[in-house]
Amino acid sequence: MWWGLVRRLLIFLISAAVASVVVFALLTLVGDPARTALGTNATPQALIETRHQMGLDRPFATQYATWIGGMLHGDFGTSYVTHLAIGPQIGQRLMVTMWLIAGGMIVALLVAIPVGTIAAVKHRTATGWILSSLSQVGIAIPSFLAGILMVALISVKLGWLPAGGFVVPAQDPGGFVARMILPWLSLGLVQGAVLARYVRSAVLDEMGQDYLRTARAKGLTQWRAVVRHGLRNASIPVLTVLGVQLITILIGAVVVERVFVIPGIGSYLVDSVARQDRLAVQGIVVTIVAISLAVSFVVDVAYTVIDPRLRRR
Amino acid sequence: MTEHTPQTQSPSTDPVTPVDSVITDHRRWNPLLIVGGVIVLLVTVTALVSFVWTPFSTLFTDTDNLAVGPGVGGHLLGTDLLGRDILSWLMAGSRTTLYVGIVAVGIAAIVGTPLGMLAGMVRPAASEFVMRITDIWLAFPALLMALIFATVFGASITSAMVAIGIASVPAFVRIVRAATIVVMKTDYVQSARVAGRRGPGIAIKHVLPNIAGLVIVQCSVSYAIAILAEAALSYLGLGAGPTTPSWGRMLFDGQSVISIHPFLVVWPGLAIGLAVLGFNLLGDGLRDRFDPRLAGR
Amino acid sequence: MTWSGTRSLVAVVAAAALVLAGCSAGSGLTGSSESGASASSTSEVTASSNAGVPEGSTTAGADQSSSGSAATPAPSDGTLSLGLVLAPANMDFTTTDGAAIPQVLLSNVYETLVTQAQDGSIQPGLAKSWTVSADAKTYDFTIRSGVTFSDGTPFTAADAAFSIDYVKTKWTVGVAKAMEVVTSATAVSPTELKVVLAEPNALWLFKMTTRIGAMMSPKHVDKLATEAIGTGPFVVSGWQPNQSVTLTRNDKYWGSPAHEKNVVFTYFSDSTAMNNALLTGAIQVITTVQTPQALAQFKSGNKYTIINGTTNGKVMMTMNDGHGPLSDIRVRQAINYALDKPAILKGAWAGYGTVIGSHEVPTDPWYVDLANQYPHNIAKAKQLLAEAGKSSLTLRLALPPVPYAAAAAPIIVSQLAQVGITVKTSDVTFDNWLAKIFGGDHDYDLTIINHVEQYDVTTVFSGKPDYYTQYTNPEVTKLETAGLAGDHDTFIADFKKVVTILADDAAAAWLWAFPNLMVTDSNVHGLPENAIGESLDVSGLYTD
Repeated sequence: MWWGLVRRLLIFLISAAVASVVVFALLTLVGDPARTALGTNATPQALIETRHQMGLDRPFATQYATWIGGMLHGDFGTSYVTHLAIGPQIGQRLMVTMWLIAGGMIVALLVAIPVGTIAAVKHRTATGWILSSLSQVGIAIPSFLAGILMVALISVKLGWLPAGGFVVPAQDPGGFVARMILPWLSLGLVQGAVLARYVRSAVLDEMGQDYLRTARAKGLTQWRAVVRHGLRNASIPVLTVLGVQLITILIGAVVVERVFVIPGIGSYLVDSVARQDRLAVQGIVVTIVAISLAVSFVVDVAYTVIDPRLRRR
Repeated sequence: MTEHTPQTQSPSTDPVTPVDSVITDHRRWNPLLIVGGVIVLLVTVTALVSFVWTPFSTLFTDTDNLAVGPGVGGHLLGTDLLGRDILSWLMAGSRTTLYVGIVAVGIAAIVGTPLGMLAGMVRPAASEFVMRITDIWLAFPALLMALIFATVFGASITSAMVAIGIASVPAFVRIVRAATIVVMKTDYVQSARVAGRRGPGIAIKHVLPNIAGLVIVQCSVSYAIAILAEAALSYLGLGAGPTTPSWGRMLFDGQSVISIHPFLVVWPGLAIGLAVLGFNLLGDGLRDRFDPRLAGR
Repeated sequence: MTWSGTRSLVAVVAAAALVLAGCSAGSGLTGSSESGASASSTSEVTASSNAGVPEGSTTAGADQSSSGSAATPAPSDGTLSLGLVLAPANMDFTTTDGAAIPQVLLSNVYETLVTQAQDGSIQPGLAKSWTVSADAKTYDFTIRSGVTFSDGTPFTAADAAFSIDYVKTKWTVGVAKAMEVVTSATAVSPTELKVVLAEPNALWLFKMTTRIGAMMSPKHVDKLATEAIGTGPFVVSGWQPNQSVTLTRNDKYWGSPAHEKNVVFTYFSDSTAMNNALLTGAIQVITTVQTPQALAQFKSGNKYTIINGTTNGKVMMTMNDGHGPLSDIRVRQAINYALDKPAILKGAWAGYGTVIGSHEVPTDPWYVDLANQYPHNIAKAKQLLAEAGKSSLTLRLALPPVPYAAAAAPIIVSQLAQVGITVKTSDVTFDNWLAKIFGGDHDYDLTIINHVEQYDVTTVFSGKPDYYTQYTNPEVTKLETAGLAGDHDTFIADFKKVVTILADDAAAAWLWAFPNLMVTDSNVHGLPENAIGESLDVSGLYTD
């Protein structure tokens, strides 16, 4: 088992390194970053100077080594557009996004577990069918559309909640929650619909298992049997899916942050793309990808630890 | 253990891929397949019809009837802010949706299927290597890939659909590889091997026909993802331009006046939702129809 | 000294103007920045940083230089939030181009020796008075005493001399070139500054009202990107990159204090989000309306005031006059006949703005109403195309990513289709727009852009094919040169002829004069109505 863990860690590290090379190559080699950085000031002389300043006249490997070396020390470089250090920006905005994702995930689970379980247990009835259909519809709605509609109705028309913005929870907990409810819902409801389908089929799977039949034969009601035994076993594959969904939700946050004017990593990314701020895009993308790979790694490890069947392999 | 790295699998290849019990219970009469098929057919037919006929030209801007309601000035669903006929734009928008989907899914299937088959047929070490690559690849979902492409190549519908296509490759690799491994273990492939058939021959004669169904299922699922990604990109202003009829663009244009003209958002929103629903249902239905044995993988 | 005396250098600018117009994504709010390409500019000079309130204004802003703010209330402890589009990349306009930084900092934080009023006259600023020598080469300024920087250091003539030298030696942005004419700036005493020019340049004093005239403290120039220390009515008390800049009243301010204690500039990349913020009370002012059609939601009741002022922006469909079918005047005229401009304005910009027929806005002193030069006439357009042998014609229309282009393009395509012109649109990034259309080989047929610079006709249409419009007409060049050199009356007369010739030649398809559209809570007053300068002066802002 320990060797397995070390092996997985190695795979994670190598994957992250490969991903960073790919991102760096894409954003450095294609097009002319110096020209982009200079914009309207791109005289031939300025181009040469900026290329030199940005190190673009050096070999690719050297450029990459400098960049990744800095990153490992938390130095993501200074944007040629904003003249601001990129690292602290990413850190700050990542915190904001984490709040958004955490809440969205909780909403998703609160929706998915009951809906999925009921849909499974009652899968032969109208209730189950309706719940399944609802989750299908939920998946088909873009989260930003859900957000736009909720803002128009709940914030603008009814005036119940702020339309957007972000306040630090420690400063103003009430304001924080009020501003985050709608983003959490628009992120969580759609993700919940996706998750509910996995919960449902996982529970269905478990319901077909012998031990559940036995439990029912022993006189437990179907509900109690499912809740007592089935849910726990079903949670393993769902946990896995949750890992995948976490990556999806991290990217999905990009649009939700835009709708609700939340200064998270997603809006930083979109702003940087709009400004053609390649160094910032580079740093943000690598951060997001590294987080995705790390989540995969953690879930993978957790999976091995939790599931004895896998541990034996 | 390579079959058990589920954390990085795409939803469609997860260990507990949702199998709708309705299918299981009524295998012959499969409502999902029918509903999904009808919706997809509707979108396709609409797109084809829009090539030859739309109520109004998609170019036409009726500046005497700006943002009017249904029925005014002969516009069945009304007009948008620039006086364009909403029904005509919805119809032509299905064209863009199909186009983006076909290109994106085409890229994914054409790159992903052979790669997945290869990974399923080569020695375990090589297979493992391919899987590690796809794991990394999976960390670049469609929207992230499209944002990178927008930075490097500029934002356009072309760069968006290519990015979405590339991002959809690993899902194909994974599902095709898993299916290929199963097929390779079957008796007839084993006997073909014994008979001296070579890899490419086996791939084309035996593997491809057996996995074709799953590939089609994955196409349908990826299609839905592509539609959603295009809509999200258009909303961010990185998708279709102002003169391209696109549902995502219609949403983008309409959302600023949602409280005054809600239908400018509702119609394209419904269209997107319906198309995604259709492709998802079709995918679910087909998954069961084509190969129930592999459906759970 | 009137602005007419400053004409001579106008011509050089336009490149920058355009760029900014584009870069600010249609904000059209402030004067534009010049980019490296431009040598100098007078165009935004006339924008007053101490914006007085124009006639007919719905606001009651204060003209601080005249300190006559009888109508405005005493300073309050309130906070007002304004919504803007383009966030400043940093705080340093000495090395970073663009409209966003001077918009928030100039006149609010940094002040200039002289300022310009709405009528174009130059008013005292940090200089109480000044004299110009007979040879027009030496300027003697008397610096106001008792002025301090917000860090408490007194502002003296030495700081002024330093600031001027600093522009010459350290600034990297294109606008700094206007300071090259200065040979020396000397502090004769703490209140006396002597500036010597290499040659007479009536334009220079106007330039001193723009950002290059900003007076900075030698102690702080190392940290300009993150700290702005000036003498103005506000200090920067907070900055969240891409999100907001908070200005707080400078209690040590030498002039009449700002009314609001805090003014927060909040930046929104999404116009719907900005509208929602006003509707839900998160902000009190939308300074740039990006979707005029959305204004309807602010009209009902009297909760909001819609300000419809003017800018110097000319939204136009530029044609490549020097290349292909568009070099034929009949084709250009046909296009102008084919376009129903009032309908375009109504559809694309909800009717806000004024239809124009030449390179001018109604506030230009030589304005000639040419909006009806080419009334909508499909038959006439077809006839002209037939005469030119271009009955069926395909043209490319390049669209930069700005809202007005996106809104106008579909209508233009529709209207041109009715006369047999097929238009193929393509979306271009700003980089590509600059590299291929504005610069490079000018590889384009049509494009839509808002030229935001004031009095930029001599640049955009110099009559020589040295600009991306590729418009050539020696008569225009002659008139412009003579007008700039002549007295005021000659100047006006010549320029009236110029804009008329441009319309006759259908040198472009001008669409509408870009309005300065703002929405405020109805209790917010004191916002400058017309956007013609580099700054958004908020010192007069107050609520009742």
